[in-house]
Amino acid sequence: MNDDGTLDDAGLRQVARRLGARAADRVDVERTAQAVVARLREERHEPSSREAWLWTSPVWLKIAAALVIVAGAGVVARAVRHAPSGLAAPVETVDLGDLSVAELRELLQSVEQPGAAEPVSWLDVGLEDLSPAELRTLLASLEPET
Amino acid sequence: MTPAEPVAAVPSPTDAALIAAWQGGDEQAAAELVRRHTRALARFLAGTGAPEADLDDVVQETFIRAFRAVATFRGQCRFRTWLLTIGGNVLKDAHRRAKRARVVPLADELRSTDGDPHERAVAAEAEGRLGEVLQGLPRLQREVFLLRAQQGLEYDEIAAALGTTPGAARVHYHHAVKRLKECLK
Repeated sequence: MNDDGTLDDAGLRQVARRLGARAADRVDVERTAQAVVARLREERHEPSSREAWLWTSPVWLKIAAALVIVAGAGVVARAVRHAPSGLAAPVETVDLGDLSVAELRELLQSVEQPGAAEPVSWLDVGLEDLSPAELRTLLASLEPET
Repeated sequence: MTPAEPVAAVPSPTDAALIAAWQGGDEQAAAELVRRHTRALARFLAGTGAPEADLDDVVQETFIRAFRAVATFRGQCRFRTWLLTIGGNVLKDAHRRAKRARVVPLADELRSTDGDPHERAVAAEAEGRLGEVLQGLPRLQREVFLLRAQQGLEYDEIAAALGTTPGAARVHYHHAVKRLKECLK
């Protein structure tokens, strides 16, 4: 111990050497040795029983079943996503009662004309392409209803 | 009747021989290694902050981990030194899990019945303070200090066990001593 009350190097080492000695003395060495050996023995025999547990445990069966369900749902979702868009698209229904006379006439004409069902881009059609009847229908549809 | 011939003392097997025997399946070799190193390990662990109530468990866990990994022990340092560093790792993991502080209660120290009660109290107080201050040191400084001051190891040995250089170990030790002296005023 130094004059100012601090520990000198030797004193510090002396205290350090004693540190934990009492606690260590209370450890039962023989009991520790037997316990360690028992645990090591257990671990040496453990792999076979662990494997058996792995394959027989209901927990693992449940997890496997859950994985199958999740994978199945994934396959179904993928199939739906890649289905032709025409099948998946919602069908819009129109009540004929809601249509005006002119619209009904136009509809009838389009059904009567071959190839009318084919989709036509508005860029492909000019007024000169329309027949007099179609022009009349178009004009009628543009006039405000009274 | 011929006089009995002096019995030559049978040298106890080295740690390396016991390790080899254990790897060959000899459980008693493992038990002997445990008997040989338990006290030193327990002192080191108590010094590095193992709660006394958990000391048995930490000691056992350290031996179990050491035996599991013994194939990786290449003799870079003594088996005991290697064991102490494993003990430090076990304790670190235990602290991380439990978040409990190290306590070697002063009152418990005073329950000892050996020696003069006043001297015992003074010694217990010094140990308690040292233990507390040690907990405030960085882990490497703490372990180097204990390996050097408590276990009496050389810097070469400490460096080999901790994967550092002897010079670095010396620096860690001196930093630890400086800090301990400051805190123990």
